[in-house]
Amino acid sequence: MLAAALLLVGGCLYPSEETSIPPLPAAGEGVDPGLGPEAQPLSSGPGDKGSPSWSPQGGRIAFTVDGYVVDRPVGTGDTRRWTTKDFVAEEAEWTSDASLAIFGAASRPVPTHEVSRSVYRARSGEGSLGVKEVATDVLAMSPGPGGKGLIVALQTSAYESELAMLRDRGAVDRIYTSTVGGRVTGLSLSPDGRRVVLAVRVPGGRTSFELHVFDLEAGTRRTIAQLGEGLEIFGAPQWTKKGICYVVGKEETPGSGGTEPLYDLYSVTPDSGVPESTPGVGEDFVASSIRVSPDGGRLAVIGRLNPKAPINLYVLNLASQDLEAVTTNEDMEIKTGPDDLAWSPGGKSVAIVARGILSEEPRVRAAPKGALLEDFYNLYEVPVGGPEAGR
Amino acid sequence: MREAALWISGAAVAFLATAGAFLLLANLGTGPPERNLTPNPRPSESGPALELTLNEDQLASLRALPGQELRVGVRNAGGKDLSNINLTLEVSSENTALSDARYYRKTIDELATRGFTTVPFYLDLSSPGITASGSPSAPSPEPPRKIIEVRATTPGGVSAIKTAIVPG
Repeated sequence: MLAAALLLVGGCLYPSEETSIPPLPAAGEGVDPGLGPEAQPLSSGPGDKGSPSWSPQGGRIAFTVDGYVVDRPVGTGDTRRWTTKDFVAEEAEWTSDASLAIFGAASRPVPTHEVSRSVYRARSGEGSLGVKEVATDVLAMSPGPGGKGLIVALQTSAYESELAMLRDRGAVDRIYTSTVGGRVTGLSLSPDGRRVVLAVRVPGGRTSFELHVFDLEAGTRRTIAQLGEGLEIFGAPQWTKKGICYVVGKEETPGSGGTEPLYDLYSVTPDSGVPESTPGVGEDFVASSIRVSPDGGRLAVIGRLNPKAPINLYVLNLASQDLEAVTTNEDMEIKTGPDDLAWSPGGKSVAIVARGILSEEPRVRAAPKGALLEDFYNLYEVPVGGPEAGR
Repeated sequence: MREAALWISGAAVAFLATAGAFLLLANLGTGPPERNLTPNPRPSESGPALELTLNEDQLASLRALPGQELRVGVRNAGGKDLSNINLTLEVSSENTALSDARYYRKTIDELATRGFTTVPFYLDLSSPGITASGSPSAPSPEPPRKIIEVRATTPGGVSAIKTAIVPG
């Protein structure tokens, strides 16, 4: 009886395991940079940042700052510089967990738009900020099949290009003899890694672009779409599971009240060769930059729902044709360059670059400059759901 | 009568034993621990002992020239007199590829509690326009803004910081 009574009393007493919780952030200390509560900063402080690129394992992110290249852990940790500050990098891509391929020029002045660049290889841990030039006269580059090596488009004459495959260490693996009649302005790999799609500016009086598909095994090339005069392909076309998506820039028609070029999102399948507006985004959508998810099922799009709407990051599920806004822009300038967004390797986040609206008046902050966010272009990680969302 | 009492006491013992067994099992389970929802006190709830002020009108009047005057306001908001307050002012560009940072230092010998003083700095805000390698900087759609970062520290560890971003 006594034991039972003790058990009865003891059972009513819950173990008082007191756990303290950390203090709430002070007002203004919480991070909501004006892109929505889900966006988390990946960088801070001054500097014009751009061209984010996640490491193959997703633990680090590389990006350009005022032309030079740095990387840092996705969590906390120090920023690591890969090039000297006089470097003019336009794009950086990981070729392994310890090496970057950098597209740009090793010194200023900045090359003009039409001039080809070089590709440099940089390795972490070498400590010298040294880069090695592995290819010259490069027009565009893309990571190779399986993330190994690089595919580069090389300029062979004023209006002729060729493709080459480079190994991780920069050695030429293969040069394709089938030349491209025009300047390659962007390229990307097919989901199966066997073909690439090329955006090609072809010779002529006015701007004229074509889409070519290049078979990496057979070394053959064919034209799948030709754009009308005055239309241009913005950035690299993206090869998805539902075809090839690309942004076409066009001038507004006279009398429509504006002079800014509009950008439409188009899709074409390699076999049909008939471009159509990408389903799911709406006819008023203005696309700026696009990037296909690692599994090929979704497309990250920076753009506007209509010409007067704010710029946001959207994710288009290509199978269900659902367009989801994953940022809620409140007075932020989101960068719209073709390389200013990147998927994390697992397809759960997209990195974008944004800053607050510039002010003509001085601003005073009660923080060191290295901790400031919205005053400068900084990187933000935006969760977009898992890869299953693309199925 | 005795038989009934035995039945009742037996039933009571059986009930208590069963209840005890269930309570014992419940105690062995992994229920969520109770949490104390009282937040920890913040490290310094009493507010900063040093306050810096930068006049925005004066900041707006600065030009990209040498000899620009900027007065930094310093207030001792703490309960003790402060001595040897070191002020460090750094002027840099938002373009981090430019190695043009300039540093200025001043010291306030004494500042009584609740006291306020202004310290003038004469800044060279001219832009060299030269990169780290000595070649002209990249053309930019808008001139880079100046960043003026002011730090105040005392030997006793009291500190304050303000950063101004000034259009170029």
